Amino acid sequence: MTATSATIVESSGQRWSRRLSQPFVYLVALMVVGIAVAPVTYVMIGGFRSNLQITENPAALPDPWIFSNYTEVLTSGRFWGQAWTSTVVAVGTTAGVVILGVMAAFVIARYEFRGRQAMYSLFTAGLLFPLTIAVLPLTIMLRDLGMFGNVLGLIIPQVAFALPITVIILVPFLRSVPAELEDAASIDGASKVGFFWRILLPLSGPGLVTVGVLAFVGSWNAYLLPLFVLQAGGAKPEGYTLPLGVAQFSTQYSANTAGILAFTSLAMIPALIFFLAMQNRIVSGLQGAVKG
Amino acid sequence: MATVTFDGATRIYPGTERPAVDKLNLHIEDGEFLVLVGPSGCGKSTSLRMLAGLEDVNEGRILIGDRDVTDVQPKDRDIAMVFQNYALYPHMSVADNMGFALKIAGTPKAEIRQRVEEAAKILDLSEYLDRKPKALSGGQRQRVAMGRAIVRQPQVFLMDEPLSNLDAKLRVQTRTQIAGLQRRLGVTTVYVTHDQTEALTMGDRIAVLKDGLLQQVGTPRDMYDTPANVFVAGFIGSPAMNIGTFPVADGAANFGKAHVNLPRDVIANIRPEDQGQITLGFRPESLDIVSAGTQDSFPVVVEIVEELGSDAFVYGSLTQDMAGTRLSSGAGEAQIIVRVDPRRVPAKGETIWVRVREGEQHQFHAASGERFDI
Repeated sequence: MTATSATIVESSGQRWSRRLSQPFVYLVALMVVGIAVAPVTYVMIGGFRSNLQITENPAALPDPWIFSNYTEVLTSGRFWGQAWTSTVVAVGTTAGVVILGVMAAFVIARYEFRGRQAMYSLFTAGLLFPLTIAVLPLTIMLRDLGMFGNVLGLIIPQVAFALPITVIILVPFLRSVPAELEDAASIDGASKVGFFWRILLPLSGPGLVTVGVLAFVGSWNAYLLPLFVLQAGGAKPEGYTLPLGVAQFSTQYSANTAGILAFTSLAMIPALIFFLAMQNRIVSGLQGAVKG
Repeated sequence: MATVTFDGATRIYPGTERPAVDKLNLHIEDGEFLVLVGPSGCGKSTSLRMLAGLEDVNEGRILIGDRDVTDVQPKDRDIAMVFQNYALYPHMSVADNMGFALKIAGTPKAEIRQRVEEAAKILDLSEYLDRKPKALSGGQRQRVAMGRAIVRQPQVFLMDEPLSNLDAKLRVQTRTQIAGLQRRLGVTTVYVTHDQTEALTMGDRIAVLKDGLLQQVGTPRDMYDTPANVFVAGFIGSPAMNIGTFPVADGAANFGKAHVNLPRDVIANIRPEDQGQITLGFRPESLDIVSAGTQDSFPVVVEIVEELGSDAFVYGSLTQDMAGTRLSSGAGEAQIIVRVDPRRVPAKGETIWVRVREGEQHQFHAASGERFDI
């Protein structure tokens, strides 16, 4: 989140006359970045302190720096097990969302058929459907299907819940590819599916990256669904996702504040790096597709 | 190489009553450059897209050579199309754009490369083959679009306003290049434009459409000299023809004190529904400036003078004593256009006297707008 807010401030700043606004822009940017980054830094630095240091003075720099909190987490099998589960779930969710989403969006964006608008509206309505309501019936259903406490039982509902936003982002994106390109492709001998593979998919790269990153980060940070599907489903702690692991760790070692801080920092790093690496492409993806 | 035949081809868009293209009958010879021209919404693009297979044909047939292609997929029609916005694939290099159709058809890579390079040479694109369309100028993109059509060596070229995105100067240049290229390759070409100048300069023959109906087909000369009806008369030619409807008496059309003598055959052929009126058209160059009061002349108040160097045109209006005469031109209602000597142009506000040169008027039925068949 940090990264996006900072970019937005910077890019709108560029449009202003440079000399006059530059200090002001930096000031605002610094404030926004500060608000967003401060808690994160606190958590990360806190991980380098001992519990005693934290109790004596909650807001201070580590003195001396202690690395044992981090090394303990990093050497524990539980953390790596949970990181692995999180990765599997996030990658699976992303793949499912992108593949299914782009196919659904393609049909809605580029085929004329009855009920097309209704189908699009249905996806939009999906946005309004809260996970909280669905989660209990969902666990019952997953139990019947034998996927309770199972990674697959987590991936499939996550894909389903990420599809609305994916379709809503991708449909205008695919629609904005000019109709003439499709005509040209059909004269050149490409079928509708050929057009999808050879023209539309390469052109929708930025859109796919956007929805992919949103799905990945969403899945990485998800808490409620893993709680109900994995923890309530009786998965072993090593099979938890990281947010679940963090919660469980903090209940289990509630006295070990520094340990919790270290665990939390490490848990959020992958998603943070991923988001930072992709943030430019997300912004360009949200701005719309290529004009022919 | 092939002929193209529209045989009563009709297109009715779903949800509309009036056909976008109404029973189009048109035969295009092998190697011919035919231009479809008309105002926007006349069905010219639809006709072309029907030929391309991008629009359904609701009635009638379309033939390429002797083959009925009415229900054939676009890719199997052996055609290539150049689009108004070029429709280049943005993610492919120029070479890939040009070779895309061949690649899909499964042509060996070496042959694709060779054919692309040949086409690039013709179009002066050799050094741009590895660029993306984004890195090209408008004119270069246009040439790539042409190249994509040429590489396929199709039986028919279809061009949908391929010049309308170029600036005026480049358009004139490219116009002659395309026409020259077509003559050289000898491929049957159907070209759509709304610009009658393009039609006149490029086409072997021109077909004028209006409201989905074919108005007239002929060589540029035919269209200019003998327009089949008032619409074609007003559409072809720049500046446009002056057209007015006048009462007929004593073997002449009368407006104000001026008379335009009509041939006897015309008088004899006036129909009852014309109600003693005739529609006359006369081109700006068919008007002579004469001294005031000359017989059969009428006064024109100069409003604007358009100087083009080799020509000059006066846009004027009729004076008060001509009130009640309905006369119009491409410039608007109650306006008249006169070509004048560019060395001696009248000043604004001046009144000049003009006379229609004997026998250079076009006569149309007042009721139907059709040309007198004489």
